[in-house]
Amino acid sequence: MTAATDAPVRHRPRRAGGAVTLTTARLLRIELRRSTMPWILPVIAALFWFDSYRFGAGTPPYWVLRTFWNMGQGRTFMDFAPFVAGVAAWIGSRDGRRRTADLVAGAVWPRWGAQLAAWAAATIWAVGAYLVFVCVMFAVYAHQESLQGSPPWWWVAVGAAAVAAFTAAGFAVGAFFPSRFAAPAAAFGAFLAVIVSSQNGFGDTSGWPLILPNNANGNYQPISGIFYPYLPDLPIARIMFLAGIAVAALGLLGLPARAGGARLRLAAAVVALAGLAAAGTASVLVRTARLTPHGMVIPALHDAANDRPIRYTPVCGHAAGVPVCLNPAYRGYLSTIAADLRPVLAEVAGLPGAPVRVTQVPGRYASGMFEDQAGVWVAISGTPPVLQLPLDVFNTLPSPTPGSAGQFDQELPLLSVHEFVAGSGGGTAAQQAVQAALLAHAGIPLAAQPQALTIFGLPDWAGEDLQGLVAGSGSANGPGTPRGPVYAAARRFAALPAATRHAWLAANLAALRAGRLTLAQLP
Amino acid sequence: MTAAGVQSSPPGAAPAPTAGRPAVAPLRLAWLYLRSRRVPAAIGLLAGLGALLWAALRWRWNVAGGAAAQALIPLTIETGAAAVIAVTTYGPFGDPERATGRWLPWLRLAAAVALTAAAFGALAAGAAGGALPGGTLALLRDLGGMTGTGLLSAAALGGAFGWTGPMAYWLATESVLAAHWTTPWIWPARPAHDRGAAICAALVLAAGFAAITLLGARDSGRGPVPD
Repeated sequence: MTAATDAPVRHRPRRAGGAVTLTTARLLRIELRRSTMPWILPVIAALFWFDSYRFGAGTPPYWVLRTFWNMGQGRTFMDFAPFVAGVAAWIGSRDGRRRTADLVAGAVWPRWGAQLAAWAAATIWAVGAYLVFVCVMFAVYAHQESLQGSPPWWWVAVGAAAVAAFTAAGFAVGAFFPSRFAAPAAAFGAFLAVIVSSQNGFGDTSGWPLILPNNANGNYQPISGIFYPYLPDLPIARIMFLAGIAVAALGLLGLPARAGGARLRLAAAVVALAGLAAAGTASVLVRTARLTPHGMVIPALHDAANDRPIRYTPVCGHAAGVPVCLNPAYRGYLSTIAADLRPVLAEVAGLPGAPVRVTQVPGRYASGMFEDQAGVWVAISGTPPVLQLPLDVFNTLPSPTPGSAGQFDQELPLLSVHEFVAGSGGGTAAQQAVQAALLAHAGIPLAAQPQALTIFGLPDWAGEDLQGLVAGSGSANGPGTPRGPVYAAARRFAALPAATRHAWLAANLAALRAGRLTLAQLP
Repeated sequence: MTAAGVQSSPPGAAPAPTAGRPAVAPLRLAWLYLRSRRVPAAIGLLAGLGALLWAALRWRWNVAGGAAAQALIPLTIETGAAAVIAVTTYGPFGDPERATGRWLPWLRLAAAVALTAAAFGALAAGAAGGALPGGTLALLRDLGGMTGTGLLSAAALGGAFGWTGPMAYWLATESVLAAHWTTPWIWPARPAHDRGAAICAALVLAAGFAAITLLGARDSGRGPVPD
């Protein structure tokens, strides 16, 4: 026997970093297993189904429209926020409620580290559930109907950041005020915040309220995902803001004396300040946001590559011999549009300024929540004349909503005929009469035209045309019935043989458009 | 060494309550029960919510939107009150209390009824700060119904999570208000004198009282609970 055999085998010590990583992973695994967060997920799932999913259905088959309620207006994270904040507060108050704060203060791990592990586990559950629920909802939408455009992934990321931020804020409330009332207090605070910001977000179209993740003003309109990419400027600022709040809340946890040593507390203070700085910077950045035709731009965050339109090859059909070409995302509406325009185009065929082609063009972002807030429009321009249709501006695109198809079938001919006869402004009495007569032959009887002129979203001229057609007989109970001189002239003009009407228009259209004709000069 | 003297109290110990003071014992039991449920703190919170409602109405805190939106803050405060009542059902003792507490169901019922009444009183006093949408009748109906949802969720999920019921109900209600539904089960969307809405709210409150009386909160020894 030698001394050599008695000597203990000496292992090379493992690196401390690896041990810390392993211990962290174990701690996180334990916290994941004991976390309370999964208990609340069935309640959130039920609410998510009722609120986010169901109320999002029933819109035309475009991602940006189908997800307007649950992503643009932030309902998905609103369904999560109060609950994850409350449960996180319950988890954060655990040591205080059980009176074990002194015990864990003497453990190897600093208390702040243990709290971060508990928060991380709760957040993994909450954010994981959020992502799963959203992906399932998207999958169901896509399965039910072939949605056009692209999903709003940036808004999904904002929601995930919001869920993490509310979890952190709730956890901090529980850690600082350990009581059975910490959970409802945190939930109530989160609830009040999301409800009030949701409602006030409806009204504020610029400035700091744009940082609110449920403010859809000027940043979630139907051009996005179809004609242009979703602009990520505002979502990036929102993620920065929400992440800043989360980091600041977590930093606050490390400030009390019991959280750890002096260095650790100093680090926590730095973390808290960094979080506040991030949130503050994001709030300042959104004040520089400006509305462009295809979304909200924040100059410091903007990438010019996102300004490039999405390329596509139009799909075309024909209406009265005129080509009608649409973005392939609107392929499903091609036959409807051709059918709606066919009698109008047949009526004006061969007349000066009559469109020789119908083309879909992108609309423009409006400062409110919807593009139609600037008024639904069509335009005839170019040489040869082209009828331009910004279909994304139409709020009446046929959808599962009852009555929507009928409105669209009236709105499109009405806008087209008005543009042809009177341009984009209000019409003279003679123009109103000719417009009414042409529409009568395009499938909208004179008796139905007052109702058509009240379709929501029509430009201001619709009100003037209505007053001319009903001669002031409208009231709060209805738009009134056609009567008066415009109506009489329209009936007279509509009763002419088609060839006579066409010949008169060919000879007098320029004077009519210029507003130089009176009702008495109509045949 | 004998067992003599084992049953005698140490010098200076408080004498055990005797059967000679029957009137004090029920009061003491009730007081201990209320303290174990943190009812005094809950009453403080309800008073705070009443003050919040008073301030909201006095200084006309409002959110953007139509008539339905104007009721959002008062209804949110009522939701908070219902959540506080629901959380008081959480009991820390579990099986021992259930096994020995003959009067427990009555104590649960009495505490829930008393706190609901206190919440109504606090919020009605707060409503004096201005014009409450729907008036006191709507306050009574909405608070009662939401308290019912809280008690039911406490019975199902546990007292510590009783607050989830009113929160979930109010989030669903907010969507329904936006969609202009008029079902009486969404009672805040109906006028104050609507009989159907009042019946629905009363049914939910009665179900909540019944569940909390007969079953108690889930964490009182009736099943596994999260912590």
